[in-house]
Amino acid sequence: MKKNGSFSYARYGYLFSIPFIVAYIIFHLYPILYTLIIGFTDLKGLGKTSFTFLANPLQNFKEILSSELFRTALKNTVVIWITNFIPQIVFALLFTAWFTSPRCKLRGQGFFKVVFYMPNIMTAATIAVLFQALFSYPTSPVNDLLMKLGIISSPFNFQVSKLSAKLVVAFIQFWMWYGYTMIILISGVLGINPEIFEAAEIDGCSSSQTFFRITLPCLKTIILYVLITALIGGLTMYDIPRMYLNGGPDSSTLTLNVFIYNQAFSGSYMYNRAAAASVLVFLLIGICSVFVFRMYRDKDQKKTDRVRRHLAAGKEAVNE
Amino acid sequence: MKKSLIVLLMLALAVSMVFANAAAETGAGKKTVLNVMSFTDEVPKMIERYFELHPEEAAKYEVNTTIIATTDGLYQPALDEALAQGGAGAPDIYCAEAAFILKYSQGDASQYAATYKSLGIDVDKLIKEADIAQYTIDIGSRNGELVGLGYQATGGAFIYNRSVAKDAFGSDDPAVVAEKIGAGTQSWDKFFEAAAELRKKGYAIVSGDGDIWHAIENSSDKGWIVNGKLYIDPKREAFLDLSKKLKDNDYHNDTQDWQEGWYADMKEAGAKKVLGFYGPAWLINYVMAGNSGDTYGDWGVCASNVGFFWGGTWVLANKDTTKKDIVAKIITWITLDYSETGLQYFWANGTLNGEGGTKDTVASGTVMAKSDGKLDFLNNQNMFEAFVPANKYANGKNLTQYDETINTYWRDQVRQYTAGAKTREQAIADFKTQVKENLDVIVE
Repeated sequence: MKKNGSFSYARYGYLFSIPFIVAYIIFHLYPILYTLIIGFTDLKGLGKTSFTFLANPLQNFKEILSSELFRTALKNTVVIWITNFIPQIVFALLFTAWFTSPRCKLRGQGFFKVVFYMPNIMTAATIAVLFQALFSYPTSPVNDLLMKLGIISSPFNFQVSKLSAKLVVAFIQFWMWYGYTMIILISGVLGINPEIFEAAEIDGCSSSQTFFRITLPCLKTIILYVLITALIGGLTMYDIPRMYLNGGPDSSTLTLNVFIYNQAFSGSYMYNRAAAASVLVFLLIGICSVFVFRMYRDKDQKKTDRVRRHLAAGKEAVNE
Repeated sequence: MKKSLIVLLMLALAVSMVFANAAAETGAGKKTVLNVMSFTDEVPKMIERYFELHPEEAAKYEVNTTIIATTDGLYQPALDEALAQGGAGAPDIYCAEAAFILKYSQGDASQYAATYKSLGIDVDKLIKEADIAQYTIDIGSRNGELVGLGYQATGGAFIYNRSVAKDAFGSDDPAVVAEKIGAGTQSWDKFFEAAAELRKKGYAIVSGDGDIWHAIENSSDKGWIVNGKLYIDPKREAFLDLSKKLKDNDYHNDTQDWQEGWYADMKEAGAKKVLGFYGPAWLINYVMAGNSGDTYGDWGVCASNVGFFWGGTWVLANKDTTKKDIVAKIITWITLDYSETGLQYFWANGTLNGEGGTKDTVASGTVMAKSDGKLDFLNNQNMFEAFVPANKYANGKNLTQYDETINTYWRDQVRQYTAGAKTREQAIADFKTQVKENLDVIVE
């Protein structure tokens, strides 16, 4: 409702958002839609841009779903992600509890936070090369150390054993991300009203009771954020598996995104199959995200809304 | 007053920028830009030297070099994109390594390469006069037309540690060692006899199974793809058994090539001292010389028991280049000029940038015949004596454009088999699965 004499600034909002929208449509939306489309075609080969739609449009999807390597990649992705995520969240919560506990005042918190966050800053390529050198065979720092300590008598080939490859990749992911998760959780805790903690202390809560019954429930939205981003990051895990052992000994660290990359760029440029696989991964992440959101929804939201509406209606009735 | 001063200053700045830009353009003299793309600085340095030797050309051209190493498979996607985009930014001269040259000379990306003839080079005459090794022509030809040529010849020989040979065989003479490993027999039987002999004295014959792989790979009769289908040549399949034999009998140090353990064996720092490495001249000069530590000068080279070639760089020209004459001149100078001012003569004698540079075997037999291949590293042995005959064995007809990827899968499965993680049949089956699902190849 425009009153006489006032000037609406609303249109400037639209004007200023045009550059972003244009950039988004060109560089994000168009490629996403194009990828979606070529999943249904026969586009493959270097430098080709023309394609024809397949007679059986879902052929690429069927091929990918029945592909043995795709199923291996899916299994590996889930296994490596869970092995990485559980220690990650446990340590992050533990450190959060210690760093924000009103009772134990740790010294040098700033230093520790920096050190824990540091692995996240290093590039994945550097870390992969580092761990390749650490776990090399027959001579490497880890092998030499284990032999000196007498744990093993001859060097163990960490890069041929499928289990050790998976564990190393999971460890690298854990090591890179627990600091980041911890920082996010600490910032969430700092946002909780300190009066609640004071009330708890007066009521005689112990440290663990405070943590499990007050801090965690208040952190619900932050934990939801951490879960969703960890889920997306985990299901699209690419940089470490690819740079460390390129899908690992005998496809043991082959994750979904490395599989997609191999389809598109490992010799035959099968863009159509890579696009189909990408769409399938997208659907998978979508379903998992919906599941996580439903788990965390406020179950009493409907009732609170109804009560609010009644109160509002009641007030209006009184006013009239 | 302040406002007008500011406005005046801004105007002055704007005007000066416009004039400065114009001055820069005319001052530079408008040199034509030559785009070069490679994965090492070898070819760019050669082109630099060419312009140093031909200053009249240097005045007209400016070289824009892009170097992306092949580690982690980063070079090919970048080169493919540059070629596909075309236009002024596309490379005029680009290089391809033996691992993937077929893609650019005969395979999916060969449409971008110009034939040497179309650049105005008298190919037939120069090839004959320079006595270019046949395998490099075979690889660089598309339907009989030459599109790429290598400047190196990378025929392989056996590079052995003289002290180990003397202790185990009683002599470090190349003829003796050659006879011991069965040189010229094209088989591995005598090799394994020598391996057993060495093992008794506590030596390993090679560092890891990768050392014999290149010899096996290139000596096979057919490549990985025959009539569009995956084909496992019996000689390559035998690698499964040969590698297992090496591991079970502890004839090697179980290293993987291009990793720490492999380099360590070049300076006798591994679990057992290693007799030798299979490789071409570049392995000596670019890999072993730097990694040999105290053993420098204690090596020799003799003929290999199985003929092969390994590696090499091919130089190609873009068919859409607008600077055909200078591209033709540079390519001829690098690959077909057999005179004493051609690149190959400098390259063979190590005199590209003055005396004392690294020597290498080159594609032109004519040049090698008049060059001096004596190396300190080989205790003053003339390396051309071993490598020139080796080039004859090199087979340029059993490669495919997918070799880099397929070889990676194959060696991965062989490693699993020799480590005892799966059976021989399972290794072959898993290899077929990987090729079938990641590449556009029919697998039965």
